[in-house]
Amino acid sequence: MSVPLYHVLILASILFAMGLACVVAWRANVIMMLIGIEIMLNAVMLVFVGGSAQWGIADGQIFALMIMALTSAEVSLALAMVVYLHRRKKSVNTDDFDSMRG
Amino acid sequence: MNTYLSLMLLFPLLGGLISALVGRKLPRRLVEGTACAAVWGSFACALLAASVYRAPETVTLASWFTSFDLLIPISLYLDPLSLSLAVMIGFVCGLIHIYAVFYMAGEEDYARFFALLNIFVFAMLTLILAESLPLLYLGWEGVGFCSYLLIGFWYTDRNNADAGRKAFITTRIGDTALVIAIAWLFQLFGTLSITQLNGMGFLMPGSVITGLGLLFLVAAMGKSAQVPLMVWLPDAMAGPTPVSAMIHAATMVTAGVYLLSRMFPLIGGSTTVMAAIAVTGGVTAFYGATCALAQRDLKRVLAFSTISQIGYMMLGVGAGAITAATFHLLVHAFFKALLFLGAGCVITAMHHEQDIFKMGGLRRTLPLTFWCYLAGAACLAGLPLTGGFFSKDSILMALWHQGTPLFIGLYLLALLTALITAYYSFRMVYLVFGGSNGHAPVRNKELSVMQLVLVPLAILGLFGGVLNLPAYLGEGYLNGLFAGLAGGAAIHVSHLEEIVLQVVAGTLALAGLLAAHLRYGRGRDQRLEEAKSPDSPLTSFLMQGWYFDRLYHMLLIRPYQTLSGILWQKVDEGMIDDTLDRLASGLGSSGNWLGRWSTGRVSIYILSFAAGGAMVLGYLAWLAL
Repeated sequence: MSVPLYHVLILASILFAMGLACVVAWRANVIMMLIGIEIMLNAVMLVFVGGSAQWGIADGQIFALMIMALTSAEVSLALAMVVYLHRRKKSVNTDDFDSMRG
Repeated sequence: MNTYLSLMLLFPLLGGLISALVGRKLPRRLVEGTACAAVWGSFACALLAASVYRAPETVTLASWFTSFDLLIPISLYLDPLSLSLAVMIGFVCGLIHIYAVFYMAGEEDYARFFALLNIFVFAMLTLILAESLPLLYLGWEGVGFCSYLLIGFWYTDRNNADAGRKAFITTRIGDTALVIAIAWLFQLFGTLSITQLNGMGFLMPGSVITGLGLLFLVAAMGKSAQVPLMVWLPDAMAGPTPVSAMIHAATMVTAGVYLLSRMFPLIGGSTTVMAAIAVTGGVTAFYGATCALAQRDLKRVLAFSTISQIGYMMLGVGAGAITAATFHLLVHAFFKALLFLGAGCVITAMHHEQDIFKMGGLRRTLPLTFWCYLAGAACLAGLPLTGGFFSKDSILMALWHQGTPLFIGLYLLALLTALITAYYSFRMVYLVFGGSNGHAPVRNKELSVMQLVLVPLAILGLFGGVLNLPAYLGEGYLNGLFAGLAGGAAIHVSHLEEIVLQVVAGTLALAGLLAAHLRYGRGRDQRLEEAKSPDSPLTSFLMQGWYFDRLYHMLLIRPYQTLSGILWQKVDEGMIDDTLDRLASGLGSSGNWLGRWSTGRVSIYILSFAAGGAMVLGYLAWLAL
């Protein structure tokens, strides 16, 4: 094992924070928020893979594969909804979609 | 005997149930017939029981409660006391039922009336015949409940409903004392059988017996309208007249006297209790008589006279003369029923006018009522040789025989009361029947039947004395019957002493009659003129029953109303309701305020989510460091 686990964890944390910052800050564009979410998911995947390599158990890698499958499904669904939403309001700004106000 | 006793109770109960359940569907004549037949059937059973009666007997019909050492059988006890009362109740109530059929001829709600009347009789007979105290209590509450419903029979008028409530609540004070006494007796003796309890009084120290006796006395005060719980009886006149007659003569107010006579072997050992009973009776007799002096309502005069006469019975019990008290109870039942039913005839004839100052001259228009009423008034006044004279005199003699200063004092008070009684009795007779006729009375078929009912009662009242003639005229029947009972033994005084006492009492009664004649017989028109002017302070003092109602209103009712006002408006509405209202509105507004957070904007949610996650992480980090 050439890369120590905590290096992987630090990298994953930085990635996750950047993804979260993207989601929080870039609310004017829903596509950018989706990209932020993808980055966060990738950070999580990295932790799984790192853990799997550390302890030599395949479970983490299997989870990484499953997250990939899940992300692809999520993105395809989410992009379809973005297209639909854009058609309705001619906007991709999430703040325009506040009809579920409490 | 078993059959007779159970049928005696079942007849009125069945009659009452039939009237109550299907009375509205049945023809009127049938309901009335059932009600009368039930009571007369009960009377017939009482007579049959009397014919086969040999010695006191306990009959167990069924088991009511059986739980650990608490055994309450439904058992009846027949001894001279209960037997004589049962026969009297059957007869008097039977006559009152017949009278009621005609008196209530115009009443729509006859089924309810006769159902209650029958159940009233059933409850009283249960009370009389019960062998165990809980069964007695069942009858005790039964008469209270029926009297409440019957006094407020015309409940659409608020005054009547209030009178019913007043009777119920006032007697409830006494009932509470009775419940305490019953519970205490069970704790002390482990049994509630009256016959067993009466034989076990010597096991307990005198102070306990005194406490029990005083509790029984309070119970009797409530039921028998003794001072200080007598305020309900004058108002109980709100009910129909037959109901008043039942309450006063047979089924309600005598229950207290009966209870004390029944428990006499237990409580008679305490001189304190006996003195307390006698003093209560003496004060009540005097109170009732003085109040009756000033009343203007015919039925209220009779109500106060009942209070006074029940006071005499209590005096008899207090003097340890159960026979004399029961004798007076029986004779009083006859003449008081007679007076009430007579008053009912008068009131019917006078178009429901009850003010005696507005009546007059009825001796010519209602001669039969007049003669019967006169007989009743003579008994009430204790004119020599009437039933009331002998029964009242046997109580006076028992008082005299006790000989202690207290009882001599009570004897003098009772003599004074007898004088007042004679005076107010004939004041009533002169005002109602004397003078000239100012009104044209109603005459109809009902009234003539109603008058006929008075005749047997008048005969019994006048000749009730033969039940227990004084020793110089032969052996008293009741004395012989009651000889085996505790407190039932005849009082032995010399014939001369007895005659002297009777002459004194008779002279006083005649003096009362003379005074009433001078004041209301000759000067009747003058009195009628005087009655139009405002009352003197003394008159209104007596008229209002010594202002006891006002006193209780000030001492009890007003503080109670103030307290309930505070509890209602300040505590319930002010504290409890307001607290809950404020809490609810606080929760609502904080919910509204928090609700502004859910803006529907995804960005805010993500930010909140991230902040929450950061806080969790921060907390974990703080734990780890």
